[in-house]
Amino acid sequence: MELIMLAICIWTLLFSFYHFCKKRDQCCYLLHYECHKPSDDRKLNTELSGSIVARNLNLGHLEYKFMLRAIVNSGIGEDSYGPRNIIDGRENSHSLEDGILEMDEFFKDTLSQLFVKTKVSPKEIDLLVVNVSLLSCAPSLASRIINMYQMRDDVKSYNLSGMGCSASIISINIVSNFFKSHRNSMALVVTSESIAPNWYSGNDKSMMLTNCLFRSGGCTMLLTNKPAMKNRSKLQLKCLVRTHLGASDEAYTCGMQKEDSQGILGFYLDKNLPKTAKRAFTQNIAIIAKTCLSYTELLRYFVMKYSKKKATLNFKAGIDHFCMHPGGTAVIEEIRKGLGLNHEDVEPSKMSLHRFGNTSASSLWYVLGYMEAQKRMKKGDKLWMIGFGSGFKCNSCVWEVIRDLEDANVWEDVIKNEKEEVNPFMDRFSWINQDTYDPPPGSLFQKKM
Amino acid sequence: MPSEATKSLKYVKLGYQYIVNNFLTLLLIPIALAVAPQIPHGIILNKIWSFLHMDLLVILSSVFLIIIIATVYFMSKPRSIYLVDYTCYKPPVTCRVPFSTFMEHSRLNLKDNPKSVEFQMRILERSGLGEETCLPPAIHFIPPMPTMEAARSEAEEVIFSTIDALMTKTGIKPKDIDILIVNCSLFSPTPSLSAMVVNKYKLRSNIKSFNLSGMGCSAGLISIDLARDLLQVHPGSNALVVSTEIITPNYYRGSERAMLLPNCLFRMGAAAILLSNKRRDSHRAKYKLVHVVRTHKGSDDKAYKCVYEQEDPQGKIGINLSKDLMVIAGEALKSNITTIGPLVLPASEQLLFLITLIGRKIFNPKWKPYIPDFKQAFEHFCIHAGGRAVIDELQKSLQLSAEHVEASRMTLHRFGNTSSSSLWYEMAYIEAKGRMKKGDRVWQIAFGSGFKCNSAVWKCNKTVKKCPEDSPWKDCIERYPVFIPEVVKL
Repeated sequence: MELIMLAICIWTLLFSFYHFCKKRDQCCYLLHYECHKPSDDRKLNTELSGSIVARNLNLGHLEYKFMLRAIVNSGIGEDSYGPRNIIDGRENSHSLEDGILEMDEFFKDTLSQLFVKTKVSPKEIDLLVVNVSLLSCAPSLASRIINMYQMRDDVKSYNLSGMGCSASIISINIVSNFFKSHRNSMALVVTSESIAPNWYSGNDKSMMLTNCLFRSGGCTMLLTNKPAMKNRSKLQLKCLVRTHLGASDEAYTCGMQKEDSQGILGFYLDKNLPKTAKRAFTQNIAIIAKTCLSYTELLRYFVMKYSKKKATLNFKAGIDHFCMHPGGTAVIEEIRKGLGLNHEDVEPSKMSLHRFGNTSASSLWYVLGYMEAQKRMKKGDKLWMIGFGSGFKCNSCVWEVIRDLEDANVWEDVIKNEKEEVNPFMDRFSWINQDTYDPPPGSLFQKKM
Repeated sequence: MPSEATKSLKYVKLGYQYIVNNFLTLLLIPIALAVAPQIPHGIILNKIWSFLHMDLLVILSSVFLIIIIATVYFMSKPRSIYLVDYTCYKPPVTCRVPFSTFMEHSRLNLKDNPKSVEFQMRILERSGLGEETCLPPAIHFIPPMPTMEAARSEAEEVIFSTIDALMTKTGIKPKDIDILIVNCSLFSPTPSLSAMVVNKYKLRSNIKSFNLSGMGCSAGLISIDLARDLLQVHPGSNALVVSTEIITPNYYRGSERAMLLPNCLFRMGAAAILLSNKRRDSHRAKYKLVHVVRTHKGSDDKAYKCVYEQEDPQGKIGINLSKDLMVIAGEALKSNITTIGPLVLPASEQLLFLITLIGRKIFNPKWKPYIPDFKQAFEHFCIHAGGRAVIDELQKSLQLSAEHVEASRMTLHRFGNTSSSSLWYEMAYIEAKGRMKKGDRVWQIAFGSGFKCNSAVWKCNKTVKKCPEDSPWKDCIERYPVFIPEVVKL
């Protein structure tokens, strides 16, 4: 009898050890990430933005006012970046080359730095995932990177497209799945958005917002499941939840690329977008709360709910940092209220929107970069990344910080200068918020008239 | 006499293959003969009996050791991936583009460039395409009207009808789909085509959807690879893979010759495939996935640039096919074979290959490299119907007979180059001809821009007795195979 018990114990021990080793090999570690900071000659300041808007001959008086109002209230500052063709005045006569040039600058800036800082050679990459929503070329951008960096011929590459602003989390999903069935691997994720060929030159108000919000940017990440590299890594992926509301027609059509009544291609954003975002977000929370909140918090919530008192989940009980997609001030505010957070919690997202604009799928990484530059991320902290995208999707993931992080990265100049958050557009175009048809003399609007 | 010599060589080869492939079994015969005389004396039985009388501890620990090894083995074994069924899109007859229609439209669209019109005619004459290939409605306009609206409606028509047919055939409900992968190389709207499918069929909100784009004609196998990786991690799941190419936005409207070639070859098509890792599907599944091997030659500049989307001097976007395409395809195929060979070839072929390799390295580099006989490893070949030249090249390098490449040639003739879905039309052809038997191994090879060469190996799980009702070949299989002349005089 004792022998049988002993044998069962040994078997359980061996089995658990095997299971532990397997799980350890399946963990997803973020080794390093590099955000793209384009050169200063690509900055879109107030003067330049105003003149680009004024150049659009399709805009009538009301549309012009609407566009300026959107820029003023967008929360974007003086230093966000645009693609070269728009700055050079060729926003309506863009070519395929312009789109690819924008991507090339991003690849060369970030990938070289990434490989140098991590001392990893491109030949060690086993999986490459690229996501750029609005540019699809042949050969794919993934092949372009393989060619540029001479990767191995058995590298697995995936090129995602059309998946919206939450696509970087979808790329991380592919990587974490890959790590579960392939040991000792390295993966490279490249996420960006193509602004150059997507400037909207029509006069449909619902399509003009993208011109005001989206800016050039990108991020490259190096991930691994090698246990030996855990100590060098920054973050470990704890869980990832994807929610797709595409089944609802209202959600599906709230962010859509289509032609306007004059046949000009643009990106339509529905008025109900913040509401849809909230719905998607609620569904996503329901699943992720179970995995990342502490049991005591969950217990407290259920007790309060069943005793019919007002029950709200306190996310700060399980999460230390909130990294939300800076889609726009409305979206950030909607999530802040939904989660019961205060303004300090969403400061990184607001700062990222101010400094870099909405860089679509890569914006989450700029927010992360800000938190790291401010030296807020300590070992053991939990970080919740929330992204939204057309479709309508809400994808989120929880990371655990492995070691104290303090790399200032692309935020170095902001941290050094410690400028106060100022809305530069408000100074020049503050008249736009008043309901008057008389622009001050000498303003761009008057020149147009 | 030469025929007798070749006959005897054939028997020698057969004999060699039989011996090498069954080496271990043949080795057992002398061992059995050595052991046999001892059995009547019951020595072995005595030995087993005395073993069973040993310490209980030893017996228990050996039993548990066996259990541990068995558990570890079953846990680390990759899950079997089954292809439950697939459907191919059959375009309506109204979209047909016979040669006369194509040439008439070409003359009207390119009326200022008679040389380009003549070039297109020469390409069409030698293309290997038939008179029943189809182009989407927007391209039938003179000049073509490739708006995003038209592209979306082509996508909806093509993808939805294919998925509807698949759901009817397999009986799967939309709520049962766990993974969705859509690949379309040259049309990628936002929201993606995968979001469009989720919206139409009201798929679940926790679906794992992926939209691959820009990955060329081999993207279908890349999607299968992604589905396989996902199905390894999620037990008891279904994956829906949709492979298509939307022609509407990609019809080249300029006059550069190298870029007019795709207009002559690419046609409408789509395929929807249902994969599963559920054990209960193993009875009704048609195929089982054995291997997927991917090779990417992007690090070589020539290979990278050989299929390249660019603007012509007038600013019109089209795909430029380089003259080195065949050579690069051959190189990519060689790399792919080097990886897949050891996985699928029988021992006899691998040994021969090894011997010639050693011989070339050590003895004499002038020895001809041995091309393994893949006909030993596969019963059916599905070569991407990229164009006549690609099929000819592969037939030559793999030493295949006309019957092996018949599926590819006939698919090119009947449906044109439907990009990533062409492999599935070819599988459907083999099934329609009644050639697919249980246990048959199929090799799907596809090439794509980048330059990629991907291959997948399937094993037939169920004999396909007669042509399936919804097969795209149902109404025309009796006419095939047709003779395709070298040049069709237009």
